[in-house]
Amino acid sequence: MLIYLLVSLLLALAPLVVRTERASNIMSALFLLVQVASIALIFYFKQVDQIMLSMFRADSMAVLFHILMTAVLGFTMLHSSSYLKLENVSTRSYKAYYTLLMLLAVAITCVYYSDNVAMTWVFLEATTICSAGIIYHREWEQSLEATWKYIFVCSTGIAMAYLGILLLSTVAEHGSLDYASLKEVIANGNPLYLKVAFLLIVVGYSCKMEIFPLYTVGVDANYAAPAPASAYISTALVNAGFVSIMRIYTLYASAGEVFAWARHVLILIGILSLAVGAMFLRRTNNYKRFMSYSTVENMGIVAIGMGIGGVALWAAVFHVVCHTLIKSSMFYQIGIMRHIYDSYSINRIGNYLNINRVGAIGFIVGTLVLLAFPPSPLFISEVMIFSEIVGVGSWWLLVAMLILMCVVIYNIWSRSLRLSYHSNQDTLHLSEVNRRLSYSAAVLLIIAIVIGLWQPEVLKNAIDTIVNLG
Amino acid sequence: MILSLIILYVLTLIYLSIADRFRTHTTILAVQGLLLFGIAMARLHSFHPVELSFIVVETLVFKAIVIPAILLHVINKTKINRIHSASTQFGALVMSIIALAASCTITYYMADNRTDMIFFGVALYALLSGLILIVLRKRIFAHLCGFLVIENGVFLFSMAIGVEFPLLINLAIMLDILVSILILGVFLRRLDDNMHTDDSEALTSIKD
Repeated sequence: MLIYLLVSLLLALAPLVVRTERASNIMSALFLLVQVASIALIFYFKQVDQIMLSMFRADSMAVLFHILMTAVLGFTMLHSSSYLKLENVSTRSYKAYYTLLMLLAVAITCVYYSDNVAMTWVFLEATTICSAGIIYHREWEQSLEATWKYIFVCSTGIAMAYLGILLLSTVAEHGSLDYASLKEVIANGNPLYLKVAFLLIVVGYSCKMEIFPLYTVGVDANYAAPAPASAYISTALVNAGFVSIMRIYTLYASAGEVFAWARHVLILIGILSLAVGAMFLRRTNNYKRFMSYSTVENMGIVAIGMGIGGVALWAAVFHVVCHTLIKSSMFYQIGIMRHIYDSYSINRIGNYLNINRVGAIGFIVGTLVLLAFPPSPLFISEVMIFSEIVGVGSWWLLVAMLILMCVVIYNIWSRSLRLSYHSNQDTLHLSEVNRRLSYSAAVLLIIAIVIGLWQPEVLKNAIDTIVNLG
Repeated sequence: MILSLIILYVLTLIYLSIADRFRTHTTILAVQGLLLFGIAMARLHSFHPVELSFIVVETLVFKAIVIPAILLHVINKTKINRIHSASTQFGALVMSIIALAASCTITYYMADNRTDMIFFGVALYALLSGLILIVLRKRIFAHLCGFLVIENGVFLFSMAIGVEFPLLINLAIMLDILVSILILGVFLRRLDDNMHTDDSEALTSIKD
């Protein structure tokens, strides 16, 4: 792990010292190779579930999300290169972008592998610092505003989460804050402290997972960042928030009656996130914000799945995995649209089917998959969550979810179709289409559809291990 | 000794609620850093060089010197001087007193035998004071001060519950916070340079 961290950090910082954009691309490719090699070595040396450097553990959750992050990172780098060239950014800015992207990847990886509640916090705070530079990359007024809000709200939110960790640590014996040790003693903790701690941690981490109440900064960040980076922030970073909350959730599974309370909190947060997503999907006039609100809505469904537990918990993890593939693909498609129209405006751009047929089909299919139409993998996860809700007899939740999801489906479908079939504004100056990028963006979507039709045994086993709360 | 330092700390929080110059805010934050150093030293049970150096670096160096120096640098560069608050100073004082009363009440119901009640109450009051500063003041510099008051409150809170994290984790936490403040300072200056504003109300161009 130490070698991985050192090599990754060196490669991440290398673009700052090299002279050309090409050399920067080579460093990025090497960085990606290190990620792939580290995952391969974990399997080769059978390091799964082993503790590394006394504060990291390569458990199934960490490895699964590291694989997903690496896949998304590869596509993000590919699309970023093309995006930045078309934006005519300076070499200095180009190199800084790749450095920050790789530093963010290191911070996110450390969040995934952290086996210590305080270290998870430290690396989540580090992701805020790395993301800030990426959000500010375009250096216009709105990116400055989004960056300020992102750093300020995330820092304040994560300070609140730190308070929660302090309260949680009152149960720790000999100051040991690793998840396994805390799990053994959490049942002895003061229930009031544990409840307040859970609330503070979940609220604090909500800015990363993009759920209610601090979802706004994530939406603004996705709006201001370059589209390929938005794909990365909206998936890999959101997953870092999910993993952090999932680890706390697993910890609380041993907390007796407090766990039942914590699950109710997650259901409430989930339904509020779903409501916010449904409402703002109608109001926004920007495709990137549109996709970000879809992330809020999907993470709301995940929070509900966690709150319900049982099969719904399995479905929640599966939902996050598939959402990563679908949402990143959609953001890449939006990035390609920006090349063509130089706009993200929902009301202005249209006629996409005639301008870029491959991209338009990718976007329409992506929308259908995102809306959980079969054979979307999200259809499987949502049906599993619904069946578990019926199983526990929570009818009010089922009705509320169905109503909100109908609103979501109507809003997403009607507004996505505008892009392909609505007439274009004549004031727009269209640019050349890069079909290769449209094809590459569709690859992740195809993988998601394949997972919808056939779930590999290794994925099912990994999720089984993750949801084993014992 | 500890009690008098704690009372002084509470007074700095009350004074912060009515102070209307940013230089005063910065001075108060530096004084809070010194008080936190005194409190942490008074609570040291035994002489441990590593622990002692960490306390000196975190409170005396960072909280009392480095961070106020960053804030003063920002004040000099942006030429911001006074708050122009959304409410009156009297209103802010009333809110602060209500927060103090709320902190005492919550502490009475929450604190258990493992927790130092006085520390717990003051830490909670510091957190609420920071939040009040963020909510009531329009200028983003005041928001930065509010964030720092919250961070100081978190430090007091860790003493209230007597948690001692390993040194490596403490260092990582301290560096994270310092870098966040540095970056916030940098972006505050950029906001002033590019948008010619120090007002949070001007940061509303991103909306649906």
